[in-house]
Amino acid sequence: MNEGLVVLVRAIIGFFSLLIFARILGKEQISQLTFFDYILGITIGSIASELTVDLSSRAWPHWVGLITWASLAYLMEIISLKWRYAAKYIEGEPAIVIMNGRIMEDVLRKMKIRISDIMVLLRNKGVFDLNEVDYVIMEPNGQISVLKKSEHLPLTPKDMNISVSPTGISTELIYDGEIFEENLREMNKDTKWLMKELKKRGIKDVSEVFLATLNDAGSLYVDKYKDNIKKVKDIGDYKGPY
Amino acid sequence: MRRFLTIAIPIVTLALFICIMLSGSILKRPLGKDDDVPQAIENLIQKINNDDWDKVNSEIDNLEKAWKKVIHRVQFSLERDEINDLSMNIARLRGAALAEDKGNSLTELLEAYNHWKEMGK
Repeated sequence: MNEGLVVLVRAIIGFFSLLIFARILGKEQISQLTFFDYILGITIGSIASELTVDLSSRAWPHWVGLITWASLAYLMEIISLKWRYAAKYIEGEPAIVIMNGRIMEDVLRKMKIRISDIMVLLRNKGVFDLNEVDYVIMEPNGQISVLKKSEHLPLTPKDMNISVSPTGISTELIYDGEIFEENLREMNKDTKWLMKELKKRGIKDVSEVFLATLNDAGSLYVDKYKDNIKKVKDIGDYKGPY
Repeated sequence: MRRFLTIAIPIVTLALFICIMLSGSILKRPLGKDDDVPQAIENLIQKINNDDWDKVNSEIDNLEKAWKKVIHRVQFSLERDEINDLSMNIARLRGAALAEDKGNSLTELLEAYNHWKEMGK
Protein backbone atom coordinates (compact mmCIF):
# COMPACT_ATOMS: atom_id res chain seq x y z
CA MET A 1 0.00 0.00 0.00
CA ASN A 2 1.46 3.32 -1.12
CA GLU A 3 0.24 5.74 1.55
CA GLY A 4 1.55 8.84 -0.22
CA LEU A 5 -0.34 7.93 -3.39
CA VAL A 6 -3.52 7.15 -1.43
CA VAL A 7 -3.32 10.53 0.35
CA LEU A 8 -2.76 12.23 -3.03
CA VAL A 9 -5.90 10.62 -4.53
CA ARG A 10 -7.92 11.36 -1.38
CA ALA A 11 -6.69 14.96 -1.37
CA ILE A 12 -7.90 15.38 -4.96
CA ILE A 13 -11.29 13.92 -3.98
CA GLY A 14 -11.53 16.17 -0.90
CA PHE A 15 -10.35 19.31 -2.67
CA PHE A 16 -12.68 19.12 -5.65
CA SER A 17 -15.65 17.91 -3.56
CA LEU A 18 -15.15 20.92 -1.30
CA LEU A 19 -14.84 23.24 -4.29
CA ILE A 20 -18.08 21.93 -5.83
CA PHE A 21 -19.98 22.10 -2.51
CA ALA A 22 -18.69 25.62 -1.83
CA ARG A 23 -19.87 26.74 -5.27
CA ILE A 24 -23.30 25.18 -4.71
CA LEU A 25 -23.60 26.70 -1.24
CA GLY A 26 -23.30 30.23 -2.57
CA LYS A 27 -21.10 33.21 -3.00
CA GLU A 28 -21.23 34.73 0.47
CA GLN A 29 -18.16 36.73 1.36
CA ILE A 30 -16.26 35.90 4.53
CA SER A 31 -17.35 39.26 5.99
CA GLN A 32 -21.00 38.29 5.49
CA LEU A 33 -20.72 35.03 7.38
CA THR A 34 -22.79 34.59 10.48
CA PHE A 35 -21.33 32.82 13.51
CA PHE A 36 -23.05 29.59 12.50
CA ASP A 37 -21.77 29.86 8.90
CA TYR A 38 -18.28 30.25 10.31
CA ILE A 39 -18.55 27.11 12.45
CA LEU A 40 -20.12 25.28 9.52
CA GLY A 41 -17.14 26.19 7.34
CA ILE A 42 -14.66 25.00 9.93
CA THR A 43 -16.52 21.68 10.40
CA ILE A 44 -16.81 20.98 6.68
CA GLY A 45 -13.12 21.85 6.22
CA SER A 46 -12.16 19.61 9.09
CA ILE A 47 -14.11 16.66 7.63
CA ALA A 48 -12.39 17.23 4.27
CA SER A 49 -8.97 17.22 5.92
CA GLU A 50 -9.76 13.98 7.75
CA LEU A 51 -10.95 12.47 4.49
CA THR A 52 -7.52 13.29 3.06
CA VAL A 53 -5.12 12.08 5.74
CA ASP A 54 -7.03 9.72 8.01
CA LEU A 55 -6.12 6.45 6.30
CA SER A 56 -7.32 4.39 9.28
CA SER A 57 -10.85 4.71 7.95
CA ARG A 58 -12.30 4.58 4.45
CA ALA A 59 -12.79 7.78 2.45
CA TRP A 60 -16.46 7.02 1.88
CA PRO A 61 -17.82 7.65 5.43
CA HIS A 62 -15.92 10.94 5.58
CA TRP A 63 -17.32 11.92 2.21
CA VAL A 64 -20.85 11.03 3.34
CA GLY A 65 -20.28 13.27 6.37
CA LEU A 66 -19.04 16.04 4.10
CA ILE A 67 -22.00 15.87 1.73
CA THR A 68 -24.45 15.60 4.65
CA TRP A 69 -23.10 18.77 6.28
CA ALA A 70 -23.02 20.58 2.94
CA SER A 71 -26.59 19.44 2.12
CA LEU A 72 -27.88 20.53 5.54
CA ALA A 73 -26.19 23.91 5.09
CA TYR A 74 -27.84 24.21 1.66
CA LEU A 75 -31.18 23.19 3.15
CA MET A 76 -30.83 25.84 5.85
CA GLU A 77 -30.03 28.42 3.19
CA ILE A 78 -33.16 27.48 1.21
CA ILE A 79 -35.33 27.50 4.36
CA SER A 80 -34.04 30.90 5.45
CA LEU A 81 -34.60 32.26 1.93
CA LYS A 82 -38.17 31.01 1.68
CA TRP A 83 -39.28 31.37 5.30
CA ARG A 84 -38.50 34.64 7.05
CA TYR A 85 -39.57 33.33 10.43
CA ALA A 86 -37.00 30.54 10.23
CA ALA A 87 -34.37 32.94 8.89
CA LYS A 88 -34.70 35.03 12.04
CA TYR A 89 -34.03 31.98 14.15
CA ILE A 90 -31.28 30.45 12.00
CA GLU A 91 -29.31 33.54 11.00
CA GLY A 92 -30.26 35.88 13.81
CA GLU A 93 -31.48 39.41 13.33
CA PRO A 94 -30.02 42.88 13.64
CA ALA A 95 -30.18 44.34 17.13
CA ILE A 96 -30.09 48.00 18.09
CA VAL A 97 -27.35 48.43 20.66
CA ILE A 98 -27.35 52.23 20.76
CA MET A 99 -30.61 54.11 20.21
CA ASN A 100 -30.90 57.91 20.21
CA GLY A 101 -27.37 57.98 21.61
CA ARG A 102 -28.29 55.74 24.56
CA ILE A 103 -26.64 52.37 25.12
CA MET A 104 -29.11 49.48 25.33
CA GLU A 105 -27.57 47.52 28.20
CA ASP A 106 -30.21 44.75 28.11
CA VAL A 107 -29.51 44.08 24.44
CA LEU A 108 -25.77 43.94 25.10
CA ARG A 109 -26.32 41.48 27.95
CA LYS A 110 -28.59 39.34 25.81
CA MET A 111 -26.10 39.29 22.96
CA LYS A 112 -23.18 38.70 25.36
CA ILE A 113 -21.24 41.65 23.99
CA ARG A 114 -19.20 44.07 26.08
CA ILE A 115 -19.43 47.79 25.45
CA SER A 116 -15.65 47.73 24.88
CA ASP A 117 -16.26 45.44 21.87
CA ILE A 118 -18.76 47.95 20.52
CA MET A 119 -16.21 50.73 21.06
CA VAL A 120 -13.62 48.77 19.05
CA LEU A 121 -16.10 48.28 16.21
CA LEU A 122 -17.05 51.95 16.37
CA ARG A 123 -13.41 53.02 16.17
CA ASN A 124 -13.01 50.69 13.15
CA LYS A 125 -15.81 52.70 11.58
CA GLY A 126 -13.99 55.96 12.34
CA VAL A 127 -16.19 56.94 15.28
CA PHE A 128 -14.21 57.90 18.38
CA ASP A 129 -16.81 59.85 20.31
CA LEU A 130 -20.08 58.30 21.48
CA ASN A 131 -21.66 61.78 21.40
CA GLU A 132 -21.57 61.61 17.60
CA VAL A 133 -23.64 58.42 17.49
CA ASP A 134 -27.38 58.30 17.03
CA TYR A 135 -27.94 54.63 16.21
CA VAL A 136 -25.68 51.56 16.28
CA ILE A 137 -27.06 48.31 14.93
CA MET A 138 -25.36 45.00 15.50
CA GLU A 139 -25.74 42.96 12.32
CA PRO A 140 -26.02 39.14 12.34
CA ASN A 141 -22.55 38.87 10.75
CA GLY A 142 -20.96 40.60 13.78
CA GLN A 143 -20.42 43.94 12.03
CA ILE A 144 -22.04 47.14 13.19
CA SER A 145 -23.89 49.75 11.17
CA VAL A 146 -23.60 53.28 12.49
CA LEU A 147 -25.90 56.23 11.96
CA LYS A 148 -24.31 59.43 13.19
CA LYS A 149 -26.32 62.30 14.59
CA SER A 150 -27.40 64.73 11.87
CA GLU A 151 -25.00 67.41 13.05
CA HIS A 152 -22.05 65.06 12.64
CA LEU A 153 -22.92 63.80 9.17
CA PRO A 154 -20.57 64.91 6.38
CA LEU A 155 -21.62 67.77 4.12
CA THR A 156 -22.85 66.64 0.73
CA PRO A 157 -23.25 68.55 -2.55
CA LYS A 158 -27.01 68.26 -2.02
CA ASP A 159 -26.77 70.16 1.27
CA MET A 160 -25.02 72.95 -0.61
CA ASN A 161 -27.45 72.80 -3.54
CA ILE A 162 -24.60 72.04 -5.90
CA SER A 163 -25.45 69.94 -8.95
CA VAL A 164 -22.93 67.23 -9.76
CA SER A 165 -22.80 64.78 -12.64
CA PRO A 166 -22.76 61.09 -11.74
CA THR A 167 -19.29 59.57 -11.87
CA GLY A 168 -20.44 56.01 -12.49
CA ILE A 169 -18.17 52.98 -12.55
CA SER A 170 -14.67 53.05 -13.97
CA THR A 171 -13.99 50.81 -16.94
CA GLU A 172 -10.50 49.58 -17.73
CA LEU A 173 -9.27 50.78 -21.11
CA ILE A 174 -5.59 49.86 -20.83
CA TYR A 175 -3.95 47.33 -18.55
CA ASP A 176 -0.31 46.33 -18.69
CA GLY A 177 0.22 48.25 -21.94
CA GLU A 178 -2.66 46.53 -23.71
CA ILE A 179 -5.78 48.29 -25.01
CA PHE A 180 -9.16 46.66 -24.34
CA GLU A 181 -11.00 47.40 -27.60
CA GLU A 182 -14.23 45.86 -26.32
CA ASN A 183 -14.34 48.21 -23.31
CA LEU A 184 -13.55 51.17 -25.56
CA ARG A 185 -16.49 50.29 -27.80
CA GLU A 186 -18.72 49.90 -24.75
CA MET A 187 -17.79 53.43 -23.65
CA ASN A 188 -18.48 54.72 -27.20
CA LYS A 189 -14.84 55.65 -27.71
CA ASP A 190 -12.16 54.50 -30.13
CA THR A 191 -8.41 53.97 -30.17
CA LYS A 192 -7.88 57.28 -31.96
CA TRP A 193 -9.57 59.16 -29.10
CA LEU A 194 -7.59 57.23 -26.53
CA MET A 195 -4.27 57.93 -28.21
CA LYS A 196 -5.16 61.62 -28.43
CA GLU A 197 -5.91 61.68 -24.70
CA LEU A 198 -2.66 59.88 -23.93
CA LYS A 199 -0.70 62.34 -26.07
CA LYS A 200 -2.21 65.17 -24.03
CA ARG A 201 -0.61 63.54 -20.98
CA GLY A 202 2.72 63.23 -22.73
CA ILE A 203 2.43 59.53 -23.48
CA LYS A 204 3.61 58.45 -26.93
CA ASP A 205 3.02 54.72 -26.74
CA VAL A 206 0.44 52.50 -25.02
CA SER A 207 3.23 50.31 -23.64
CA GLU A 208 4.14 53.19 -21.28
CA VAL A 209 0.76 52.84 -19.55
CA PHE A 210 0.15 50.45 -16.66
CA LEU A 211 -3.53 51.25 -16.14
CA ALA A 212 -6.04 53.58 -17.75
CA THR A 213 -9.69 53.76 -16.72
CA LEU A 214 -12.63 55.86 -17.83
CA ASN A 215 -15.75 56.58 -15.80
CA ASP A 216 -19.24 57.41 -17.02
CA ALA A 217 -18.64 61.11 -16.41
CA GLY A 218 -15.84 60.95 -19.01
CA SER A 219 -12.96 61.37 -16.56
CA LEU A 220 -9.88 59.45 -17.64
CA TYR A 221 -7.39 58.08 -15.09
CA VAL A 222 -3.95 57.15 -16.40
CA ASP A 223 -1.10 55.53 -14.50
CA LYS A 224 2.26 55.17 -16.20
CA TYR A 225 4.96 52.63 -15.43
CA LYS A 226 7.35 55.53 -14.86
CA ASP A 227 5.92 57.31 -11.84
CA ASN A 228 8.71 59.98 -11.63
CA ILE A 229 8.64 59.84 -7.85
CA LYS A 230 12.18 60.21 -6.56
CA LYS A 231 11.63 58.88 -3.03
CA VAL A 232 8.88 56.42 -2.24
CA LYS A 233 7.39 57.03 1.20
CA ASP A 234 7.98 54.13 3.61
CA ILE A 235 5.05 53.68 5.95
CA GLY A 236 6.59 50.72 7.80
CA ASP A 237 7.40 51.44 11.46
CA TYR A 238 10.51 49.26 11.62
CA LYS A 239 13.05 47.74 9.28
CA GLY A 240 12.12 44.35 7.88
CA PRO A 241 14.01 41.78 5.83
CA TYR A 242 13.30 43.75 2.61
CA MET B 1 -23.23 24.16 -24.22
CA ARG B 2 -21.35 26.16 -21.59
CA ARG B 3 -24.29 25.88 -19.18
CA PHE B 4 -24.46 22.14 -19.82
CA LEU B 5 -20.75 21.78 -19.07
CA THR B 6 -20.95 23.83 -15.85
CA ILE B 7 -23.57 21.41 -14.56
CA ALA B 8 -22.20 18.23 -16.13
CA ILE B 9 -18.56 18.59 -15.02
CA PRO B 10 -19.32 18.75 -11.24
CA ILE B 11 -21.84 15.89 -11.53
CA VAL B 12 -19.42 13.69 -13.47
CA THR B 13 -16.59 14.59 -11.06
CA LEU B 14 -18.67 13.71 -7.98
CA ALA B 15 -19.88 10.49 -9.65
CA LEU B 16 -16.26 9.54 -10.40
CA PHE B 17 -15.25 10.21 -6.78
CA ILE B 18 -18.14 8.06 -5.51
CA CYS B 19 -17.09 5.25 -7.88
CA ILE B 20 -13.47 5.43 -6.63
CA MET B 21 -14.56 5.45 -2.98
CA LEU B 22 -16.99 2.55 -3.37
CA SER B 23 -14.87 0.49 -5.78
CA GLY B 24 -13.27 -1.58 -3.00
CA SER B 25 -15.96 -4.25 -2.74
CA ILE B 26 -15.88 -4.78 -6.52
CA LEU B 27 -12.15 -4.50 -7.12
CA LYS B 28 -11.30 -6.98 -4.35
CA ARG B 29 -12.90 -9.70 -6.45
CA PRO B 30 -10.59 -11.66 -8.77
CA LEU B 31 -10.07 -10.16 -12.23
CA GLY B 32 -7.61 -12.83 -13.41
CA LYS B 33 -6.31 -16.25 -12.41
CA ASP B 34 -3.59 -15.20 -9.98
CA ASP B 35 -5.49 -12.67 -7.87
CA ASP B 36 -8.18 -14.89 -6.38
CA VAL B 37 -7.66 -14.43 -2.63
CA PRO B 38 -10.64 -16.54 -1.37
CA GLN B 39 -9.64 -19.39 -3.70
CA ALA B 40 -6.05 -19.24 -2.42
CA ILE B 41 -7.34 -19.33 1.17
CA GLU B 42 -9.57 -22.30 0.36
CA ASN B 43 -6.64 -24.16 -1.25
CA LEU B 44 -4.55 -23.52 1.83
CA ILE B 45 -7.26 -24.78 4.19
CA GLN B 46 -7.43 -27.98 2.15
CA LYS B 47 -3.67 -28.48 2.17
CA ILE B 48 -3.43 -27.79 5.92
CA ASN B 49 -6.32 -30.14 6.70
CA ASN B 50 -4.52 -32.83 4.69
CA ASP B 51 -1.27 -32.05 6.55
CA ASP B 52 0.36 -31.41 3.17
CA TRP B 53 2.95 -29.01 4.68
CA ASP B 54 5.32 -29.29 1.70
CA LYS B 55 2.82 -27.57 -0.54
CA VAL B 56 1.51 -25.14 2.08
CA ASN B 57 4.48 -22.79 1.68
CA SER B 58 4.04 -22.46 -2.10
CA GLU B 59 0.31 -21.90 -1.55
CA ILE B 60 1.12 -19.12 0.95
CA ASP B 61 3.28 -17.55 -1.78
CA ASN B 62 0.30 -17.71 -4.15
CA LEU B 63 -1.96 -16.15 -1.52
CA GLU B 64 0.54 -13.35 -0.86
CA LYS B 65 0.98 -12.70 -4.59
CA ALA B 66 -2.79 -12.57 -5.10
CA TRP B 67 -3.25 -10.28 -2.09
CA LYS B 68 -0.49 -7.89 -3.24
CA LYS B 69 -2.21 -7.61 -6.62
CA VAL B 70 -5.53 -6.84 -4.94
CA ILE B 71 -3.94 -4.23 -2.62
CA HIS B 72 -2.95 -2.06 -5.61
CA ARG B 73 -6.57 -1.94 -6.74
CA VAL B 74 -8.32 -1.45 -3.41
CA GLN B 75 -5.89 0.87 -1.58
CA PHE B 76 -7.84 4.02 -2.54
CA SER B 77 -11.18 2.79 -1.27
CA LEU B 78 -10.39 0.64 1.77
CA GLU B 79 -9.02 1.51 5.15
CA ARG B 80 -5.34 1.00 5.81
CA ASP B 81 -5.96 -1.06 8.97
CA GLU B 82 -8.09 -3.63 7.12
CA ILE B 83 -5.36 -4.03 4.50
CA ASN B 84 -2.61 -4.25 7.12
CA ASP B 85 -4.57 -6.77 9.20
CA LEU B 86 -4.85 -9.18 6.29
CA SER B 87 -1.16 -8.75 5.46
CA MET B 88 -0.35 -9.51 9.10
CA ASN B 89 -2.48 -12.68 8.95
CA ILE B 90 -0.40 -13.89 6.00
CA ALA B 91 2.86 -13.13 7.84
CA ARG B 92 1.69 -15.03 10.94
CA LEU B 93 0.39 -17.86 8.77
CA ARG B 94 3.91 -18.26 7.34
CA GLY B 95 5.28 -18.69 10.86
CA ALA B 96 2.59 -21.18 11.84
CA ALA B 97 3.22 -23.16 8.64
CA LEU B 98 6.95 -23.30 9.39
CA ALA B 99 6.11 -24.78 12.78
CA GLU B 100 3.54 -27.02 11.08
CA ASP B 101 1.00 -25.67 13.57
CA LYS B 102 -2.37 -26.68 12.17
CA GLY B 103 -4.48 -24.82 14.74
CA ASN B 104 -2.77 -21.46 14.38
CA SER B 105 -2.56 -21.79 10.60
CA LEU B 106 -6.30 -22.33 10.31
CA THR B 107 -7.01 -19.51 12.78
CA GLU B 108 -4.96 -17.06 10.72
CA LEU B 109 -6.55 -18.23 7.48
CA LEU B 110 -10.09 -17.91 8.74
CA GLU B 111 -9.34 -14.51 10.20
CA ALA B 112 -7.80 -13.44 6.88
CA TYR B 113 -10.92 -14.67 5.08
CA ASN B 114 -13.11 -12.74 7.48
CA HIS B 115 -11.07 -9.56 6.83
CA TRP B 116 -11.42 -10.10 3.10
CA LYS B 117 -15.18 -10.66 3.42
CA GLU B 118 -15.67 -7.50 5.49
CA MET B 119 -13.60 -5.31 3.17
CA GLY B 120 -15.53 -2.47 1.56
CA LYS B 121 -18.66 -3.07 3.65
